[in-house]
Amino acid sequence: MSRKVLYVDYSKCIGCETCEYVCKFVYDVPRIQMTRTIDGVMVPIYCHHCEEPKCMRACKRGAIVRDQDGAVIHQYLLCRGCETRNCIIACPYGAMLETDKGVMITKCDLCAPRRQIGLPPACAEMCPCGAIQYVDEEELAALKTEGAELAEARILKHIRNPQGS
Amino acid sequence: MNFNFLCKEPAPPNGRSVGIVGAGPSGLAAAGYLSCLGYQVTVYDKLPKPGGLMRFGIPGHRIPKDRLEQGIRRMERQFGVIFQSHTKICCSAPLFEEEGDHFCREVLGLGEIVKRHDASIICTGAWKSRKLGIPGEDLPGVYSGLEFLFPIRAAHYCVPGAQPADVTGKVVAVIGAGHSAVDVAHSALRLGAATVHHLYRRTAKEAPCGSYEIERLKALGVIWHERVTPVRILGDTQVTGVELVDAKTQESITVPADLVITAIGEIATPPFARELGIENVRKGEVRWLHMTDIENVFVAGDALTGPSKIGKAVYSGLKAARSLANWLDLKAQNRLDAYPYDDLVANDEGRRRS
Repeated sequence: MSRKVLYVDYSKCIGCETCEYVCKFVYDVPRIQMTRTIDGVMVPIYCHHCEEPKCMRACKRGAIVRDQDGAVIHQYLLCRGCETRNCIIACPYGAMLETDKGVMITKCDLCAPRRQIGLPPACAEMCPCGAIQYVDEEELAALKTEGAELAEARILKHIRNPQGS
Repeated sequence: MNFNFLCKEPAPPNGRSVGIVGAGPSGLAAAGYLSCLGYQVTVYDKLPKPGGLMRFGIPGHRIPKDRLEQGIRRMERQFGVIFQSHTKICCSAPLFEEEGDHFCREVLGLGEIVKRHDASIICTGAWKSRKLGIPGEDLPGVYSGLEFLFPIRAAHYCVPGAQPADVTGKVVAVIGAGHSAVDVAHSALRLGAATVHHLYRRTAKEAPCGSYEIERLKALGVIWHERVTPVRILGDTQVTGVELVDAKTQESITVPADLVITAIGEIATPPFARELGIENVRKGEVRWLHMTDIENVFVAGDALTGPSKIGKAVYSGLKAARSLANWLDLKAQNRLDAYPYDDLVANDEGRRRS
């Protein structure tokens, strides 16, 4: 089965915040959120729907599962906002989000209710720059250009904990 | 950009018509929302093509034109949205004082729009450039960020009067360090400026555009001056330079320049600001979310909040459109009284009280 993923080409992103605000309009609490790196670059932090999701392994309640399109989804009925916050710590992309509402954890589900009626994720639809792509896993390699990889490395350096000492 | 991202195809026509003034991000987002619901939407804009500053302000290498055009075409062909370009909506006396005014062929009064549609949304954005307020600012050769950037894109639409400033072989001084200042410096280099001086009153670390962008400009050959405050623009009949004060040493510095571009931000210019009571909408003192003093006229985007970002404008446009649709629905059923203002505010995600 081909897995659907979201991919943000940070070299095309201009930091306009459209993805976050469209997500906010649709879901109240945005699941794709802007961050500003220390050198002032604004970019969205998002769920990569990894092949081997660390959040899924960290969650002892089995609240994080894969759905029929391959999206990594969060079942809030099983989660109920456990205090360990292991999923938040585990995610290498900073995509598990803490909120002040409901079960207090939210994440991108590739717009599950929209996918059910044949609509793609809203952020990818509205991105003015075409930086956000909703693609099959196999198409990823072609999107990862040199510029995109360099830009992503810069962002990940900012959001990840320093390794070693 | 799929402005109709909320639906696959339009709902059957609901017999209501909505006028949207301004085809920038907020206007287009509102048009997308309402056309999904079956409204007959007309979008008025003073420029020759819809898109606003996404088309005419931000350089094309940042926002690809095709993506914008696809979204507009979809609204036009599949969702029946009417785009009325070259049309400026004014109060009683036309105010020809912003960038892009020379494009409009038709001037309509707001009253006409109000009468023509069941409801309208004002999404006119922020087009008036902020001024430095220093001597010499009116000299020929001094441009605002928009005055400089706008004709570069506009010239592609074959409109007389939209002539990009000639910077070939000249010395350009850019004042400010927001994203438009970066775009100005970039464009000046691309158009063949000999030297570009970038002047900022604080340090690169504090620059709104971020130090990464500034490092990139420096790598391209831009000369960066930080912690300098412009006090006077020099020249008798034409700009010859900028006089600056170093914030650290209080020493006076002179930077020679043939062109000075002040990219220090814009101010919202909603038509009829006083008559519509825009100030009250800003404070949230309204009967209905995003509604102005005229009951079927709504306001959204930068016209309401002042200059911001595409994302905020889109969100504001979507919310105003939703508020407008709710209002028309309840009004048609005579149930407006059942929804007092406090409930509206409490239900509005953006203003939720904790």
